[in-house]
Amino acid sequence: MSRTTVASEYSAEIQSTPIEHRFNPYSDNGGTVLGIAGKDFAVLAGDTRHVTGYNINSRYEPRVFDVGDNIVMTANGFAADGKALIDRFKNQIKWYKFNNGGKKLEMQSAARYIQQLLYGKRFFPYYVSTLIAGLDEEGRGAVYSYDPVGSYEREQCRAGGAAASLIMPFLDNQVNFKNQFIPGTDGKEKRPFEYLSLQEVIELVKDAFNSAAERHIHVGDGLEILIVTKDGVRTEYSPLKRD
Amino acid sequence: MEHNPFKWGRPDDAVYGAYNHQIAEAGVNSLFPKMNTQNPIITGTSVIGIKYKDGVILAADNMGSYGSLMRFSNVERLLTIGENTVVGVSGDISDAQQLARYLDSLELQENVYDNDGENQLKAVNVHEYLTKLLYHRRSQMNPLWNALIVGGFDEAGEPFMKSVDLLGVSFSSSTLATGFGAHLAVPLLRQVIPEDKKYVDVTEEQARKVIEDCMRVLFYRDARSMDKYSMVTIKKGQELKFEKDLVVKDQNWRFAQNIRGYGNAQQ
Amino acid sequence: MFLTRSEYDRGVLTFSPEGRIFQVEYSLEAIKLGSTAIGIATLEGVILGVEKRVTSSLLEHTSIEKIVEIESHIGCAMSGLTADARSMIDHARVEAVTHSLHYDEQILVETLTQSVCDLALRFGEGAQGEKRLMSRPFGVALLIAGYDKDKGPQLYHAEPSGTFYRYDAKAIGSGSEGAQAELQNEYHKLLTLKEAELLALKVLKQVMEEKLDCKNAQLASVTKDGGFVVYSDEKTDEIIKELTKQQAESEDSVAEAVALEAQH
Repeated sequence: MSRTTVASEYSAEIQSTPIEHRFNPYSDNGGTVLGIAGKDFAVLAGDTRHVTGYNINSRYEPRVFDVGDNIVMTANGFAADGKALIDRFKNQIKWYKFNNGGKKLEMQSAARYIQQLLYGKRFFPYYVSTLIAGLDEEGRGAVYSYDPVGSYEREQCRAGGAAASLIMPFLDNQVNFKNQFIPGTDGKEKRPFEYLSLQEVIELVKDAFNSAAERHIHVGDGLEILIVTKDGVRTEYSPLKRD
Repeated sequence: MEHNPFKWGRPDDAVYGAYNHQIAEAGVNSLFPKMNTQNPIITGTSVIGIKYKDGVILAADNMGSYGSLMRFSNVERLLTIGENTVVGVSGDISDAQQLARYLDSLELQENVYDNDGENQLKAVNVHEYLTKLLYHRRSQMNPLWNALIVGGFDEAGEPFMKSVDLLGVSFSSSTLATGFGAHLAVPLLRQVIPEDKKYVDVTEEQARKVIEDCMRVLFYRDARSMDKYSMVTIKKGQELKFEKDLVVKDQNWRFAQNIRGYGNAQQ
Repeated sequence: MFLTRSEYDRGVLTFSPEGRIFQVEYSLEAIKLGSTAIGIATLEGVILGVEKRVTSSLLEHTSIEKIVEIESHIGCAMSGLTADARSMIDHARVEAVTHSLHYDEQILVETLTQSVCDLALRFGEGAQGEKRLMSRPFGVALLIAGYDKDKGPQLYHAEPSGTFYRYDAKAIGSGSEGAQAELQNEYHKLLTLKEAELLALKVLKQVMEEKLDCKNAQLASVTKDGGFVVYSDEKTDEIIKELTKQQAESEDSVAEAVALEAQH
């Protein structure tokens, strides 16, 4: 493409196409999240670092929330959209109770409703990866994951956010035993799936986040794990690298 | 002579043709396309804030810049709402003044319906209101071009400080600063409060000193700052202390002596 | 009933000085003109039974529709101005389907009933400033039968006044007084679905002017596994036969008892 160059190679370059300059309604606030479903429990964990660009805005800004009815939720990515989504969902739980005689919102219903919220903004999406965790109607651990416009799926585990691509393969291997084979079978017999205990899962989550914090600048400062069992939701906090 | 003062200083109809008043009414009741803010015009630079064991201190200078022109030098960017909540505003000054009007009417409404004066708006509530407002405006693609810090107390009466920006992104920390301050002031503030929860170990004197230091550093290195600023101290059980026309103390420009363009250095 | 007409009995939006809205009360009268409908809730499920007035031998009885499906787990019987029920049923179906779209679960029977009743007062403006939908109250009452995981089999009675109540057994329509009294006598908590079918027909038989057959009566049930089902004419016929047989037997035994008594 020929271009008029005035004065020198480097200054006052006049391009034929104007640069579009308009308000960008999105930003990325970093952080990463991870959900794992167990036999009779589920965990949802997230780091507590909040960033814009290279700035660390806060070293402790909770990202995973107890939204009630034994469901925990996170919407990671653009923090303002995440907050809006979670606020709307919490609000809807209240309405659900008003309309249905105080009935508990089941996981699958919560999951479907969040899809409606996300798809409702299909043409101005919430820029987040959303996860919810809890127990299904049979009391088994459940994790549902979403894309920004509402496609969703129930899974055994899922990582979302900045370091999702770092953590997810690790989870595939350690939770679903992908690429693991029974010793002595010459790589022919796959290691069968079995549930991990809560202790094992928590250690796995910590390893995942320590590794992510090591490699990703948008991850670090603190790790908050929300654990859902039939007895309710409890929170465990542990520090992460702050550099 | 044109005797109508409203026409003084305007382009001459004889030269430029009649003014199309639809331009001024764009988006209201005209077909003329409406344009939202694409960039801020008159701007205020950093607001900084710190929590300490009994409350919060916020500071912001009094400059209103027009690009790189120091256009206004007496702009108040710390807004009080209720008895113990302060909002520090950086970014577009006209939007800040719009926010001030919103906050005034919010406060008025609260007072009208609050007969016994018991129900003072808490900083958390003001912050939530502003977050919803700014997020709503960004979702309309018509943002209020500001970054704010809200200081005061939470529902439990403990020190509270949280920020929100033009996108509706909000976060809290014991040390906060907008704009240039996020780069220059936050590291200094975090030296005093390395762990978020440790603000309870910081005294008012320590907090005040580090804020003064930060304002000095910002004046040194932020070209759009000035050495006249306001500071608010919000302290448990006390009336809010609003100090205006403070001057950056202990300035030392000796470092500039040998830097060409800064001081007297020739050549 | 209301001997003196007053200026209050025409407006739907005005209370009379005694605190009544006459048009709503009159709408309850419209239901008493309708054919009888019965609902019986048992632990196994709910039975709905209706009388169909086949007013002419030339009338095709299948075109009289007084029991309709709302969702796979909810059905409803009506009495009164059945045309009015169209908009209620429509609304109910929309609510039920929307609920399962939004929440991936079947709507609760009570929630569904409530949403139908929300419509009943729309002869005035809605609470959120919605437009007035109709000029008068509905002239129809519904018996809503359903099953959900929370409360099991349920029967609700929804009135034009917008109120609803849950019943073990309820009769509406022209024969409702006699039918309700009979249900009161015969109902007990341990009724089986089979017994409820027979009871529904028995009560209908008592209050109907015509001879009971599968053309002028219809049954439907809602159960956990089967959901909402309208009974075929053949099935209804069989139940009628069984009822007739049972009644004949009990009459025989009564006759025997009387005979025995006489011998002594």
